[in-house]
Amino acid sequence: MKRDLFKLVAMGLSLLVFNSCGGKGSQNVWESADGFESGAKLKIAATTTMVQDLVKVIGGDDVEIYGVMGEGVDPHSYSSRSSDRQALKSADLVFYNGLHLEETLQKNIELLKTAHRVTSGMEKSELVQPEEKYSAYADPHVWGDPLLWSKTIDVVVDALVAKDAKNGEKYKERGDAYRKELMDLSEWAKGRMREVPAERRILVTSHDAFMYYARAFDFEVKAIDGLAPGDKSGPKKVEELVAFIRERQLKMIFPESAANKKGIEAIAKDAGVAVSDKELYADATGKVGELETVNGETYDLGSYIGMIKHNVNAIVEGLK
Amino acid sequence: MMELDQDSWWMVGMSFLVALPCALLGVFLILRRMSLVGDAISHSALPGIVVAFAFVGDLSSPWLLVGAALAGLLVTFLIEQIHRHTRIKQDSAIGIAFTSLFALGLILIRVIIGDKVHLHQDMVLEGNLQHVAYAETVGVMGLDVPDSLIPAAVVAAGTVILMIIFYRVLTLSSFDSGLAASFGYKPAVVHYGMMAVISVVVVSAFEAVGAILVIALLILPGATAYLCTHRLKLLLVLSVLHALVSSVMGMYFSVWLNGKESAGVVVAGTGLFVLAWMFGPADGVVIKAVQRRNRKLDEV
Repeated sequence: MKRDLFKLVAMGLSLLVFNSCGGKGSQNVWESADGFESGAKLKIAATTTMVQDLVKVIGGDDVEIYGVMGEGVDPHSYSSRSSDRQALKSADLVFYNGLHLEETLQKNIELLKTAHRVTSGMEKSELVQPEEKYSAYADPHVWGDPLLWSKTIDVVVDALVAKDAKNGEKYKERGDAYRKELMDLSEWAKGRMREVPAERRILVTSHDAFMYYARAFDFEVKAIDGLAPGDKSGPKKVEELVAFIRERQLKMIFPESAANKKGIEAIAKDAGVAVSDKELYADATGKVGELETVNGETYDLGSYIGMIKHNVNAIVEGLK
Repeated sequence: MMELDQDSWWMVGMSFLVALPCALLGVFLILRRMSLVGDAISHSALPGIVVAFAFVGDLSSPWLLVGAALAGLLVTFLIEQIHRHTRIKQDSAIGIAFTSLFALGLILIRVIIGDKVHLHQDMVLEGNLQHVAYAETVGVMGLDVPDSLIPAAVVAAGTVILMIIFYRVLTLSSFDSGLAASFGYKPAVVHYGMMAVISVVVVSAFEAVGAILVIALLILPGATAYLCTHRLKLLLVLSVLHALVSSVMGMYFSVWLNGKESAGVVVAGTGLFVLAWMFGPADGVVIKAVQRRNRKLDEV
């Protein structure tokens, strides 16, 4: 009997030792050396791809960024990996979207002293308040409006300057330049949107992530599902949507990159409209380094500006 | 050599504190052939949580756990009623009772809560050990301990103490309920007492591992130990050892493969089970083959 027990303990322990030696992956989530004070780069963890791009633009080469959510990852249903935790806990600064976009992860991030919510500079009146049935939270998809999104710049610049004063001027300069770029982007998008006749400015897509686009560029938006891709709609809502599409004689409806296309295809079939071959980027940018050229202009789909341009071009070309 | 960082060791601690009471209770569940009751309890927590939420209106309220534990008790009561008063056997009764309650929970989410609050069945089904890494710390004997470890430690300690106090009753009623009854231990009281403890243990494991993986923590340690020994005390010791080793190994797995910690713990636990299946000193494949050969040789 005692020998049995001994054998088992020995087995368990040897397995443990074997396992701990076998792994090559003592991962260090950061490339640059430890200790920002001793001259290493500022280490920053950022949640969504939009926030990552924002910090990349303002921080430039003076920071190292760990992206928690990859391109095409739906922030509503993201599940945290081991390295994400290590990065978030060891980063000098953490930036997140907030407004309940990151859901359970957000609660954890808010307990970190290094955390900054990029949307903290926005007034309550600027946020799209929920319809009655979503009475709990404001709409978190604030990047839809470039002017509103430009309010995130100050939060990032202030946090970077406070942490890394010696590069402070560089952060401020990049922030100011980027603010101007976003204003230009907004003007450009408004101009493009005017190419679509007013009565046709209707966007039908997978989930309710385009309220801020709609408000900024003056069009109507209808979605199959609720604010998060998981909020499934009932059959009644689908019928209403089909009737709406027929009544307004829409030409085209749009799928999303991170959502299931089946719903939108079924509705298109019922309503007899086309489905755009361009997927809209709703909750995440595209792949960094993937270029798209429309009307002689080339942009990176992995950047925030590229994401907006892609969406606006797709919508305008589809509806005009 | 891969090393675990400090947060990972706290997660190991959390995982073990959750797995320990599950392992002890699981041994008796297996002896009573009631393993799936754990499944039933964990899945019926959903309606309990929804109803409790309807009263308190706060997703972080501890009353939600009370509601969940009461629902767990309710499902064991329903199972008993169905299989005692009808010709339906216990396994079917379990299948009927907990799925009905879970379905009721799904409907209640819509009816009571609607879309107003993000209360998802996923919140119950999937837990996350990583909460430990972000939790605020409290000083315990000179150590900064994440505060979410404290309730887990209380539940674990409470279960161990109850186990020691009622060890004789539990053993007797698990092996021979008729004999236990003749000593004056009412089988129904023992049954519901144990179910109440399991409900609390299972529900308090939700935040760390969720309603599905907790079933593995209940059954795997006892099942693994059962393939290694048939003596009750050793069975309990081995199942606790299983809980400990799978917690440590699971964390190495999840850091190495960059995956989800709770899943790593269960995969490690399953690995230990397979090892016991092959090499277990009591019922392992190898030992049985050797015994068979020896017997043949004896015959010759």
